[in-house]
Amino acid sequence: MATVKTNPAPTGGTTAQQFDVVATYHRLLQEDAEITMPVAAIEALILGLANTPATTVSETLDLVSKLTEQLKQSISNPISLSAGTDLFQQYLISNLQRPSARGDFDSIRGHLVQNGRLFVERAKAARETIAGFGRRFVRDGNTVLTNGGSRVVGSLLRSAAESSNDRGGRGSIRFRVIYVVSPASHTSNESESEANIRALRERDIPVATIPPTAIAYCMDTVTSCFVGAEGVVENGGVVNRLGTLQMATLAKAAGKPFYVVSESHKFVRLYPLSQQDLGIEQNIVDFRTANGSEKESDPRLMGDEGLADMDGGRDVMIRSASTPTCPPEEAVDYTAPHLISGIITESGVLLPSAVSEELIKIWF
Amino acid sequence: MSEAAKAEGQAKPAEEPKLSPAELKKRAKAEKQARRAAQKDQQGGAGEAPAVNGRREEDRGQKQQDQKPKDGQQKGQQPQQQQKQAKQTAQSDGKHERSGSQHQNMPVRPKSVQPSEAKEQRETKQVELFSHLCTQPRRQDITGAHKDVHPTVAATGFQMSNYDICGSSARCVAMLLAFKEVIQAYALPKGKAFAMHFTPHYLSPQIDFLKSCRPISESMGNAIRYLKKIIGELDPDMQEQKVKEYLCEEIDRFIHERITVTDQAIAELASGQIKNGSVVLTYAKSAIVEKTILQAHAQGAQFRVIVVDSRPLFEGKQLAISLMTAGLDVEYLPFSGLAHAVKEATLLLLGAHSMLSNGRLQSRIGTASVAMQAHKAHIPVIVCCESVKFSGKVALDSIVLNEVAPSEELLLQKPTATMQPPSDQKANDDEEDEGKLRSLHDWKEIRGLQILNLMYDVTPAEYIRMVICEYGNVPPSSVPAVHRLANEGM
Repeated sequence: MATVKTNPAPTGGTTAQQFDVVATYHRLLQEDAEITMPVAAIEALILGLANTPATTVSETLDLVSKLTEQLKQSISNPISLSAGTDLFQQYLISNLQRPSARGDFDSIRGHLVQNGRLFVERAKAARETIAGFGRRFVRDGNTVLTNGGSRVVGSLLRSAAESSNDRGGRGSIRFRVIYVVSPASHTSNESESEANIRALRERDIPVATIPPTAIAYCMDTVTSCFVGAEGVVENGGVVNRLGTLQMATLAKAAGKPFYVVSESHKFVRLYPLSQQDLGIEQNIVDFRTANGSEKESDPRLMGDEGLADMDGGRDVMIRSASTPTCPPEEAVDYTAPHLISGIITESGVLLPSAVSEELIKIWF
Repeated sequence: MSEAAKAEGQAKPAEEPKLSPAELKKRAKAEKQARRAAQKDQQGGAGEAPAVNGRREEDRGQKQQDQKPKDGQQKGQQPQQQQKQAKQTAQSDGKHERSGSQHQNMPVRPKSVQPSEAKEQRETKQVELFSHLCTQPRRQDITGAHKDVHPTVAATGFQMSNYDICGSSARCVAMLLAFKEVIQAYALPKGKAFAMHFTPHYLSPQIDFLKSCRPISESMGNAIRYLKKIIGELDPDMQEQKVKEYLCEEIDRFIHERITVTDQAIAELASGQIKNGSVVLTYAKSAIVEKTILQAHAQGAQFRVIVVDSRPLFEGKQLAISLMTAGLDVEYLPFSGLAHAVKEATLLLLGAHSMLSNGRLQSRIGTASVAMQAHKAHIPVIVCCESVKFSGKVALDSIVLNEVAPSEELLLQKPTATMQPPSDQKANDDEEDEGKLRSLHDWKEIRGLQILNLMYDVTPAEYIRMVICEYGNVPPSSVPAVHRLANEGM
């Protein structure tokens, strides 16, 4: 993560153009419950581009990278977001630096803004395509294990519930769902999983909710597992809500297929080898004595918070106000590719190893 | 087969130098035939144990007879006869019944079949399974070389064959630099087009010469392919001098883009994997790993390095010395200390000879074991490899693609002065094998002993967590994608 902030603008909107990309990003996420973080980031960048008069290619690229930096700084876990912003930046670079782009910059820029909107629409539509692919993985008599509030998993299961061989309204596939729900849940995320559960129950799909501690207990009754993803990393692993790794490990041990459902715009250029390589500060393991946390006395482990402290009190306040260092609901873990049976995306069902090839296609 | 072994020792030095390419080809063909015959022979005898024993006895009896004439004449005939026998039995009896006694009782008809005699004997000090790899011994001198071989190429070749230039990238660079000289020294005959004449008549002998010094590496192969491609695409109207300048520029660009800058980029990326408190394990020596470690050190990371090394080249010594000189904390272990090294390490960095298209790594022999140990200990195995070393080939084992180095390299230092002269040894050998104290240096005289000195092995893709190339970090499964991008479109 970058250590120097060019413009600490999360609340003030102190950019020269008076455009607050962070606020826009949060507004977009709030306005549209269906939108994902990378898409919101891309939309925010497009709005930023539309609102600022940049006249040259390098100015535009500079602006976008500056806005991206602001966005990344503003939230504690920018993995998912960076998938979107990186994709957009790459798209911009490849489009703007094409020789034909030299001629009429304004029209190109207008075209970009237009196309960007198209991208957002397509990203939303992708979820339906994925559900179309994914529902074939749910068969009659199956028991499906899932967790978290992933919208795309929700739509997949709903689609499976509705799909039928005859033309009747009700689905003909009878399956059951086990939903892993954390006991203490008041965040928006959990309400999302509530909504998913309600929607399934309304469609006559029996849903059981279990605490994360019961995953191993019910693993032998499960036929397959489906999870969403915050980001799909280069080696085909996924970064997702804390607890996904243990579910994947248990599924692997029990020999059950473990599918990740994700739009391909969540593919992110990150190659973690371990949980510590995610490039984000998570305060999950917190050793404490009677005198307090160990981390406070060890400057080497402080990372981001330490920097924020040096930046000044205001920044810390903002940081802890907008994103408390690590609420357990927001924490993520990294699931290695060998635990994953398949990644269901809108461009098909991929093996984990195919992710890197998709990324190479985009970047080179 | 012991006669053959002896004869090989005698025949080899006399025969080596005066071989023209045509002769080589002929010999290769003869060798192939002999091999096939030997194979048939083996198949014939392998069915039952008695057959082997019977033959051995027969072999011995025959040998005692041989000793009196003391002449090469009869030596070769023996195996030949056996083959003939085996073949005959195979034809007459079918596969199933081939008992030793029957075999032995077959009338031996002395038949003078000479041509493949010498080759037949040569086989025996080669391990049969790897005989496809040792078609010709490494060239040590310029005798019999093509007349056009450029002195620079010759020098480079010899430096490669005695490991003065070692390492896939270094050899590639050295070769390209030599080719620049070659291009400058080339004079285009009147009425010929550069592209039509240079590659087949001038460049090819140079490449063949390098190949005869040491089999060329994947990076060299890719570089040669690139060079041939740009020569093929030359504008035929271009002036000769212009062409030469252009080609030299292109070669410089290739070295710069595909190796120099690439190395920097990889070192930059890979050094990010070395963090404070890391213990970096590495095996033998790779230039790119060395660069990575030095870069991480320069960036101020606090870490330790364990270098595991092995015979016969002991390349790790150089690495350990260079890292020590740079002020790093280095531990140097022999290969036998591997288990100990793995216990402490947090990261295994490996260089590559080549990355194969099924994600497997071809690297200095021993790498696979190190990678396996690291994998078992859940230590990430990271390969640093320029895309120029990526290969379209696929190998499941290290038998098909490999390089056999001279067996003598595996021998330890000769014990001083106490050696008996070889002729003496042979006399002993002829009398009785048992009870005589002999060193490995007499391996050529010891019956049934073969020494195999392989250069590379193949590490399975499952052991490799990450491959770092100039396109970023990729999983081993993406090697073909990168290869297509980097080497085929170039």
